[in-house]
Amino acid sequence: MNGAVLGGAASIAQETGKRLAAAESLNATLHWSQDLLDAEARRVDAMPSPGPLAGMPLALKDNIVTVEQPTTCGSRILGDYVSPFNATVVERLRSAGGMVAIKANMDEFAMGSSTEHSAFGRVRHPIDPSRVPGGSSGGSAALVAAGVLPAALGSETGGSVRQPASFCGVVGIKPSYGRVSRFGLVAFGSSLDCISVFGRTVKDAGRVLSVISGPDPFDATTVDRPPMRVPEPLSSLRGLTLGLPREYFPSDLHAGVAAALKAMIDRARELGAEIREVSLPHSAYAVPTYYIIAPAEAAANLARYDGVRYGLRLIGPDGDIRSLYRATRGQGFGAEVQRRILVGTYVLSAGYYDAYYRKAQQVRSLIADDFRRTFASGVDLLLTPTTPTPAFRSGEKTADPVAMYLADIFVCPINLAGLPAVSIPAGRSEGLPIGAQLIAPAFEEERLLAAAAALERAIPAEAEVR
Amino acid sequence: MTIGRDEVLHVAKLAELAVREEELDRLVDQMNRIVAYVAQLDQVPADRMAAPFLPGPAVVSLRDDTEGAVPLARPPAALAPEFREGFFLVPRHGAMEDT
Repeated sequence: MNGAVLGGAASIAQETGKRLAAAESLNATLHWSQDLLDAEARRVDAMPSPGPLAGMPLALKDNIVTVEQPTTCGSRILGDYVSPFNATVVERLRSAGGMVAIKANMDEFAMGSSTEHSAFGRVRHPIDPSRVPGGSSGGSAALVAAGVLPAALGSETGGSVRQPASFCGVVGIKPSYGRVSRFGLVAFGSSLDCISVFGRTVKDAGRVLSVISGPDPFDATTVDRPPMRVPEPLSSLRGLTLGLPREYFPSDLHAGVAAALKAMIDRARELGAEIREVSLPHSAYAVPTYYIIAPAEAAANLARYDGVRYGLRLIGPDGDIRSLYRATRGQGFGAEVQRRILVGTYVLSAGYYDAYYRKAQQVRSLIADDFRRTFASGVDLLLTPTTPTPAFRSGEKTADPVAMYLADIFVCPINLAGLPAVSIPAGRSEGLPIGAQLIAPAFEEERLLAAAAALERAIPAEAEVR
Repeated sequence: MTIGRDEVLHVAKLAELAVREEELDRLVDQMNRIVAYVAQLDQVPADRMAAPFLPGPAVVSLRDDTEGAVPLARPPAALAPEFREGFFLVPRHGAMEDT
């Protein structure tokens, strides 16, 4: 769906509105209007030279701020908050001809792996509504998977784009930490957060990533490198060494996931890649490391929601300022966010900081060193399953937070190490999509996407694997 | 390490969160499960410990020390629950009950 192809942004905006209305039962959107879509189309049609995204409609996860629509982060505490500025990625998408008029549902403050933790109701899986689309960027994933949009933005702190991309059967790219500006992304875990991209294809997602990447004076954590270029798909993987980390292929891996990965490895070999087994021993500690570091950073970042400057305000029983803070936060945040703030506050508190937080920071170094050493040994890319299972049923894991956290076991190590990775469809098992993950050294997105595009073409996304 | 009701209430106070009495037992149970799970990092031998990992650019380049040029579409008064004469209005501070 692109203006240059279909003959004008206005007709694309109309068609997008129809598709959004038809997909309403997914509960994947929080804010959109035909008026804003049409206004975006008029702006794009008036551009003197169409950019690389001319006429492409895009959704933003609702933790990326825009001045025209509310940014709720899926939370009651932000209520009908409307930002006074646009995120850098919004400005860049619009300058490239993208139509930005849709905000997607998400787990509250990006905390969750199922998009069941939104204050505005859960998002349904486009293939089986009794299942979850993954999370926390489940609204963006569902919209792309349902064919409403060719691409959408999400955000990752611990796999929140690749995991739903895998569950929904679309492409999800997480760039290197520092590749994309976070100015205007609501902060969750600042040493981990990355704006990331969903696409129907590697090419669509890569086009969007190339537009939003590059340094930004408003985000000092962006790295001073030129924007990513969209690579041509490789016709052969000859000369490429793919590493298979044995810790990501446990003996109890879901049979359908194992079969899909075996088929993907066979295709890679047929395309000329050298396959080598490797070991990333400290990845086994990635989930507990993540669930110390991310809540600690969240507890600090979410201290700003206090009912004073914006968002929800509730007056507590004592009528004073402390009572206001506690009532506003106690009722404004949902259960998962409260739980993570409490865990984060606990691991940062006097007496526990060294035992938990400092230790987690050290183990994070070991996890990152494993990747560095493996790539330095001649491995060009790593290939793993994206998730240990296909999409699970709604309600299956909500009572047990640790079981929910384990859905991210193959994706969160990459966030801890700050690396780029992509999930691509690898067929289906019993009708449900399976994802394969490719991981690259830092800032090697072009190599990553060139190989991903070759493998994407080798595996039919909707084929049943056995 | 077991976390009890009093400890959860203390942490909630530090975090400025009002926890409802009917939710407390569930929170105590879940926090214990989460903390027991993350405590497996104790299995990583201490002699393997490294310096903490720092993501991002090796050197953060500073921009000019001038006021930001991001034009705001609306002023703070439009966002604040209560705002008057350049100030956010809040209720009085209590009797320093937590100090």
